[in-house]
Amino acid sequence: MSLKLENISKSFGQRQILDGFTLDFKAGSITCLFGPSGCGKTTLLNLIGGITSPDSGQLIGFGEEGISCIFQETRILPWKTVLGNVMFPLLDKMPEDLAYETARKFIRLVGLQEEEMMYPSQLSGGMKQRVSIARAFAFPSKLILMDEAFQNLDNKLKYNILDSFLEIWKEDCRTVIFVTHDIDEAIRLGQHIIFLNHTPLKIVKSVATADETSESINKIANVLYVLNK
Amino acid sequence: MAENYLMNNSSFRNRIISLIVVLVLITGWELLSISFNSRQILPGPVDTIRSLFGIIEKPAFLSSLGITIFRGLIGFLIAFVFAVLIGIPSGLNSGIEAGFKPILITIRSTPVVAIILLALIWFHVEQVPVFIGFLTMFPILTINITQGIRETDSGLIQMAHLYQIGKPRILRDIYWPSILPFLFSGISTSVGFGWRSVIIGEVLSQPRYGIGSMMQNAQSYLLVSEVIAWTLIAILVGAAFELLIRWVEKRSITWKR
Repeated sequence: MSLKLENISKSFGQRQILDGFTLDFKAGSITCLFGPSGCGKTTLLNLIGGITSPDSGQLIGFGEEGISCIFQETRILPWKTVLGNVMFPLLDKMPEDLAYETARKFIRLVGLQEEEMMYPSQLSGGMKQRVSIARAFAFPSKLILMDEAFQNLDNKLKYNILDSFLEIWKEDCRTVIFVTHDIDEAIRLGQHIIFLNHTPLKIVKSVATADETSESINKIANVLYVLNK
Repeated sequence: MAENYLMNNSSFRNRIISLIVVLVLITGWELLSISFNSRQILPGPVDTIRSLFGIIEKPAFLSSLGITIFRGLIGFLIAFVFAVLIGIPSGLNSGIEAGFKPILITIRSTPVVAIILLALIWFHVEQVPVFIGFLTMFPILTINITQGIRETDSGLIQMAHLYQIGKPRILRDIYWPSILPFLFSGISTSVGFGWRSVIIGEVLSQPRYGIGSMMQNAQSYLLVSEVIAWTLIAILVGAAFELLIRWVEKRSITWKR
């Protein structure tokens, strides 16, 4: 199965963000969209998530079964416990006892079993992000979207969380599309990195991280950075 | 620990200050009434307390207190139902809000007395205080609910759409908890105003029982100490409502620590 953006155009007022943009995603792998801020990465993600619709063009293969998402501001419900938050999207999809078991399993996987009954106000930023990761994986989707999800965390915590993310991802190898402007994060998590530049959005280069050294990937990122200076 | 101690210490000090002011005011009142030399026209605190106990002993006390609270409660419940039915759609859709805005503003800016005069013509005396209570509380509650809906975190709504969560659960699990703080602040304000309006309604419409009716009776016989005693009762009941609302709020909003 392939996930495809075909000939997509989108503008906001006078600003043309996408002009006949085409991109194939490999199902079952982690793809990183890397580019300068404001280049239209988030617009791309919003199109994939169905939050905005394209002016023209086609989206193929996305989101029939619902989409899991991990946001920078975590977007967990302040009035629900860790368990309540992870169960929240599951309740429309499965019986309650199965939702409960599934939620607990993923809470354990992100290492929050001790905090299960706590409210978000009692958790640190990293813990809240783990809750939104558990929620994303517990939800029976075929696709996970992440938008600068780890930007607010310090490096040590970030790598820690990225490692647990990969660990859980290996369980069912879901398609993941994530946006970042942190090249280290892109290398650590992404199997494919798509370098983007604006405007309108275009693909500068597309690499598979397995085929390249991190030096050469860093070099591309630097060129992109210099181009946008 | 030290900070905690300091805070307790200053809150203790502030309480003492408030208490001293209250004592000074009561003493001043007593002195003024002694110097005025007519207990009938300006009774002191001691006369008022005596009247208060006299009132409490009468069988009309409980009927009056109970019926006024009952009227306020009915007015509040009707206002609450209308506020939810109108406030939630208004918060979700600015067109609906624009439609109701002139009505709410008109109700809010019409003097209570004008409404009472008309209500006396249109309704049975028993219904007037309830109607007045409803009209006072309804716009405040509606505006608070509308604002609560509008200030709900749009990120959470977007998240819910991505996770394909149905409309009823978005309302119940995202909008409703979001508006609770606004709702409680609305309840607190509207009950404060509503309670006073119900009593004004009773004073003017003169149903058989009711705090307002009793005040009006006492006033027509120039029983000033009784008027003040009923006023005290009204204040105490109002304060009790406020405490009750805070208590329920604390128990409803458990996630904020």
